[in-house]
Amino acid sequence: MKLNRLVPLCLLAMLPFGTVAIAQETREEAQKQQREEKQQTVTPNEPNLLERALKAVETGGIPLITRDGVYAKLGSITTGSGFAYGAGYRSRRLFGSDAALDVWGGASLKGYWAAEARVRFPNLGGGRFLAEGYGRRSEYPQEDYFGLGPDSLRSAQADFQLRAQTIGARAAMRVAPVVSIGGGLEYYEPRVSDGTDKALASIGEQYDEASAPGLSAQPNYLRTIAFVEIDSRQPLNARKGGWYRAELSHYDDRDLSAYSFTRLDVDLRQYVSFLSERRVLMGRVAASTSETASRQQMPFYLMPTLGGNDSLRGYRDYRFRGPHALLLQAEYRFEIWSGLDAALFYDAGKVAMRRADLDLDDLESDYGVGFRFNTDNGIVLRVDAAFGSRDGKHVWIVFGGRF
Amino acid sequence: MASMFGSSSVAGSRSTARRLCATVVGLTAVVVLGTVSVVTTARPHFYPDDPLWIDNDAVADASSVKAVEDANSYDFVVNTFATPGERRDLRAMNVNTLDEVPNSAWFVNRIGRDAMSIDDVVRGPDRIESISLDGWKVSGGKATGVQPGFRMTDREGHTYQIEFDPPANPELATGAEIIGTAFYHAFGYHTVDVYLAELDPSGLVISDKATYRDRLIGGRKRPFTRSDVDKVLRRAARRADGKYRVLVSRFADGKPLGNFRYYGTRPDDPNDIVPHEHRRELRAARVFGAWLNHDDSRGVNSLDMLVGEQDRRYIKHYMFDFGSIMGSGTVYAQRHRPGNEYILEWKPGWLTLATLGMYARPWTRISYPEVPRAVGRFEADAFEPTSWKPEYPNPAFENMRPEDAFWAARIISRFDDATVRAVVEKARYSDPRATEYMTATLLRRRDKVLRAWLTPINPLVDFSLSASGELTFANAAEQAGVATPPRGYRLQWARFDNLTGIATDAGGETAVGEPRAQAPAALTLPRANADFIQVRVAAIHPDFPSWATPVTVYFRRAGSGWELVGLTR
Repeated sequence: MKLNRLVPLCLLAMLPFGTVAIAQETREEAQKQQREEKQQTVTPNEPNLLERALKAVETGGIPLITRDGVYAKLGSITTGSGFAYGAGYRSRRLFGSDAALDVWGGASLKGYWAAEARVRFPNLGGGRFLAEGYGRRSEYPQEDYFGLGPDSLRSAQADFQLRAQTIGARAAMRVAPVVSIGGGLEYYEPRVSDGTDKALASIGEQYDEASAPGLSAQPNYLRTIAFVEIDSRQPLNARKGGWYRAELSHYDDRDLSAYSFTRLDVDLRQYVSFLSERRVLMGRVAASTSETASRQQMPFYLMPTLGGNDSLRGYRDYRFRGPHALLLQAEYRFEIWSGLDAALFYDAGKVAMRRADLDLDDLESDYGVGFRFNTDNGIVLRVDAAFGSRDGKHVWIVFGGRF
Repeated sequence: MASMFGSSSVAGSRSTARRLCATVVGLTAVVVLGTVSVVTTARPHFYPDDPLWIDNDAVADASSVKAVEDANSYDFVVNTFATPGERRDLRAMNVNTLDEVPNSAWFVNRIGRDAMSIDDVVRGPDRIESISLDGWKVSGGKATGVQPGFRMTDREGHTYQIEFDPPANPELATGAEIIGTAFYHAFGYHTVDVYLAELDPSGLVISDKATYRDRLIGGRKRPFTRSDVDKVLRRAARRADGKYRVLVSRFADGKPLGNFRYYGTRPDDPNDIVPHEHRRELRAARVFGAWLNHDDSRGVNSLDMLVGEQDRRYIKHYMFDFGSIMGSGTVYAQRHRPGNEYILEWKPGWLTLATLGMYARPWTRISYPEVPRAVGRFEADAFEPTSWKPEYPNPAFENMRPEDAFWAARIISRFDDATVRAVVEKARYSDPRATEYMTATLLRRRDKVLRAWLTPINPLVDFSLSASGELTFANAAEQAGVATPPRGYRLQWARFDNLTGIATDAGGETAVGEPRAQAPAALTLPRANADFIQVRVAAIHPDFPSWATPVTVYFRRAGSGWELVGLTR
């Protein structure tokens, strides 16, 4: 065979191999090869630090506050207590049912402390009845007192310590989907002494029984309570609806027969929304009045007060105190982002020594701006800056609650 | 060299010839193998098995994958404050050469490729006709999600999740779940079967072994008791006859592995080779989400299940949790923002703050009609498909290109009025007005979706080249009734070299008035020796100038005819 024939033949012999080599390669094979290559290099699907941290917060952090069993108690104990921390034990399955037990104790950075035990039956009768019993012991060592009446002066500030023990029970019945009526009985043991704030005069140094009724002696009280409540808020951290509550309490002085009184508190809040509920107008009227029999006095530490983060925000906590009080509030809230509202507000109010003076004349007032980090169920953090009062500017940082 | 070969030839000995032949063969082999190697590296434009309709992503064993469930907060944080995955204007990476999505562990072509009867669409993933809870036992609590519910086990031992509607909106979430599951199944996603059933609390039996992972005690297991059942029922819509309408969801087969993400690939899954943000069916889920207002379409509402035989396991990817679509917010009527704005969107927030609320986001002005409470908050008047948004940025949605959207819109176009109505009727709303309103709203939203996403790019489809060389095609936008026929078409034929990818013009540009044209004989006749034909087809429409950008179509000779093998839009 001649070489010039042999070469093409040899080439021809080789061609099928080349052709076969192309034909055998398919898209499916190419993809399979990629997967086989990845199989050689697979690595565990490990969450990064941020993932692990957020997962831990979701599964452990939030339940640390809301969980059953031992839980962390954070927030405040009472108005003006400052940030408080503590621990509690909670069970929402007491007796294997819906009854809930909550026992906690906590202390604040300002030296306030409280301990409480509460048993609740929130769903008796298929949810129509609620009952609870509670006992509480507390010590508030730096409560502010500026004197009584609308003319009290900021410069007259003193402080006192209020220690108290309370034991009581309440029950309520839902008579309509938004209407509840109820009542309760409490045994209350208040004790007043000098405050611990070294920057302030103590109440005993500056006031006496005449200017601070109840300062000289504190009886134990049996308090009977009746209330009616209409709650049509939607949602609980309301964007529409109303919350109206009237509570009548009789404080019966069981020891001295000198400090018995009856107190009526009415709190009316209405929420009106527009622009798809992203704007809310809130109006609030709250009034408190009291009645004392002859030769009876209402002790100062059980009088209604104005001033503080949820009443007259341009004034200090408990800035005004008297047997009668009126509070008017208006807020315009607008949503910036989901979970964050801003607010413009105006507060006005007064306390009065006589019920006849509980009118719209000479109201103390303030205005301001605020921000609320919130959920449907409540406020997580509220920051309000108030201006325009005769006591100057005030900034409030409040954790929790509804407003 | 030539002289050497010449002198050898003169010698004429056989052994020399053999050696020479061996040498030549060897050299030739090197050359040919080299050529083959080059071909292999360069890859042909179309493989013999193109277009591929099955992406075999069950080929590698994935038995070693471990379950990882994302935290809700992480999913929100990473997608809101970072840009995970690759944001690139890149053609979807898992489409076949026809620009379609092959069947895989992610997606199965259903109504998009094959005709589905109304009954098939309505049945969805359901394996049985209906479910009765008689003889079932409560077998545990439900530890995830906001919807009240628990688990029940049937007589055969299969476990199901039982979920209820919120008291203020009976039939809301269960209806949404039923409708959403049927639609998403027909789209082509893997979904679990869901049923509506009736639960009589008086006959409820709680298994002695029923347990619950209680978050209130740190996720520890504890017995699930009658008190827990009562607590669930108090949060549920109760009918006048004292019974409850419930959604019964069968647990997917396999081992749960947590959720998938809309970006990246799972590092422990050898089959997962396409970044999720570049998967067509995940990108285009934005279109389905817009139609059905599935604002909750995010990673944590997906499910990966390990399935398959021993040593041959793979991950099957599910879409689930449709309780918050359309007008449902699962436990309330949907809020106003979802679908219109991300949870956190800087600009409108700052504007609102700077103007003390005087600036009103457009969606705050949408008025919703008075409708039965089962509908929730759902409307079509203000709906703008291209402006629709999920709860927070979704990397796959962000990468959606016009052809991705077109693909999804075309699937939606397959749902005629009767099919949509039949799916809504599956929700068995007790108030006929709910069925009417839901159907009408879905149809109007469907039409808006089709107008929005079938028309921005050249919508020519269904190309076919007959043995005689006649090309026919259709117009998806016209078929869907969202555009009039084009004035004409311009075609450019070419011979296509599959190895080099070079198209050689054949006959210049031609124009036709109808969606049919004759290919040049120089390409189609057998003697033309053209194995591949490329034709670029532009549509001329005064309302849609973008249609002048041609669709490029490829045909491969198959026997005596032509097979559609490629399409780029």
